[in-house]
Amino acid sequence: MNTSAKKKRKFDTTAFAFIAPAFLFFTLFIIVPTISSVYYSFTSWDGISPTVKFIGLANYKEIFTSARFGNALKNTVILTVFISIFENSIALGLALIVDNVRWGKNFFRSAFYIPVLISGIVSGFIWKIMYNYNFGTFNAVLGNLGLDGLKQDWLGNSALTLLMIGVVLIWKGAGYYMIIYLASLQSVSPELIEAAQIDGASPWQRFKSITVPLISGAFTINFTLSLINGLKVFDQINVMTDGGPGFTSETLVYLLYKVGFNEGRQGFGTAVGIMLLFIIIVLNTIQQKFLRSREVQM
Amino acid sequence: MERAQKKIKPGTIVLFAATILLAFLFIYPVLFALMSAFKSNGDILKSPISFPRSLYVQNFKDLFEQSDFLTAILHSIFLTVVSEVLIVFIVPMAAYGIERRQSRTTALIYTYFLAGMMIPFHLYMFPLFKEMRMLHLFGNMAGPIVSYIAGSIAFGALLYCSFLKGVPLEIEEAAMIDGCTPFQTFWKVTFPLLGPCTGSMVILNGLGIWNDYLMPYLVLPSGKAKTITVEIAGFVGQYTARWDIVFAGTVISIVPALIIFCMFQKYFVKGITAGAAKG
Repeated sequence: MNTSAKKKRKFDTTAFAFIAPAFLFFTLFIIVPTISSVYYSFTSWDGISPTVKFIGLANYKEIFTSARFGNALKNTVILTVFISIFENSIALGLALIVDNVRWGKNFFRSAFYIPVLISGIVSGFIWKIMYNYNFGTFNAVLGNLGLDGLKQDWLGNSALTLLMIGVVLIWKGAGYYMIIYLASLQSVSPELIEAAQIDGASPWQRFKSITVPLISGAFTINFTLSLINGLKVFDQINVMTDGGPGFTSETLVYLLYKVGFNEGRQGFGTAVGIMLLFIIIVLNTIQQKFLRSREVQM
Repeated sequence: MERAQKKIKPGTIVLFAATILLAFLFIYPVLFALMSAFKSNGDILKSPISFPRSLYVQNFKDLFEQSDFLTAILHSIFLTVVSEVLIVFIVPMAAYGIERRQSRTTALIYTYFLAGMMIPFHLYMFPLFKEMRMLHLFGNMAGPIVSYIAGSIAFGALLYCSFLKGVPLEIEEAAMIDGCTPFQTFWKVTFPLLGPCTGSMVILNGLGIWNDYLMPYLVLPSGKAKTITVEIAGFVGQYTARWDIVFAGTVISIVPALIIFCMFQKYFVKGITAGAAKG
């Protein structure tokens, strides 16, 4: 890839001195606990007691047979797919708007980015209040419009809960992906578009045949990023529903947290975490494949 | 502007109007929080979509009287600032070692760092806390800080490595000939040239630390105020009937982030796009 000075060296003391502190922190506080979590996933560790009992594959057996894990996996998939699809389409839409609007490009870009700045907890709280049945914005607006029939207990209705959490995450995340799409759109050369225009291509044809292929790299990256971020959602669920009502908004990460801290089963929680890592590695591998096949085409 | 040379098509106006509406929808929840913070609890409940009637600051007074929010603010600032200072000391140096001393080993270390991006915090948090207890990092500020440093390395190395490729070697070589050690060369010659990159990393990373919840919630000692985000999360359960106080807290959490964003917008954009281009 980079053809610059790739020399074979003997042990390079200077380079090592520069890298050592980062290497140490990274290894000690990410890699070591990650590797030990593989070990703990085979134990019935409660997180407090000094004795750790090895129980073989029991945690994994439970994962593949328990309804609770199946439910959490289902919720995670629904939430993640929902977020990724809408986050990406909305982000691309926003990027196209900001790229084409005549006045105030910078202002609008900032406006769409502002939700990204807000913490998961705070965004969860704000939306929880807006969703409130008696005092929330949504039902107040519906009431003012005379649509009282549509009033909902937005988070309490178990058919809606996950999607309502998803809406908060899409609102909070779209601006981030918009920035990436926008940079990609702005790197499409105007000459190319003009040439197509002269050849009589309609705006839709220009978008489909020139813009889309050229931003496909941004699309791959954004889709992967939003999938991985979707898998890791925690704060909003914590503040908005605590996994409820019942187990309707309990995702893998939330299940892991609950069994680990509320039920004293950190061994099992860690095994759930290993499953999560496995899913992320699979997604990443697929993305790499996509990227490579695209590179070949270009 | 009205007399621009090109004729303004109706489509342009429609798009502009639609964009204003859309921008309003995006900002609305933030406005809602800002407005509610200056309304009495009764007003929040009675008319959630109205403007505050006057500049009502009782919520902020109550917030500071009824909770130790000041400590929480100081903790948030301390964690963010100290972690960022250490990160700026550690990460660019590592990237420099990788990028300027290319070898099979450094390439391997780079891949090793990038692999860290895939590992979710939730996976390793239980063993991490156990390890922190052993090293006496649990229950004090050092715990989150070391973990934030570790967590910043993957993205930071990626950002700095791609940026360093564009920094010419000649200046460094000249400094070396003048007798600078590699360490001096880096800090006196190269590091100042990496300003925009440092800006992007500090801002994106700092925002993450400022907004973080789970780590300070679980690691800092209980019974005392922890950080702004943790306090707000605690209020939501505790003051179920006093939304006014919680909204005052959210404003204190949001406003610093907004100010930093307005001041350093270009660093946000640069950091995100540079991260994505290589990610």
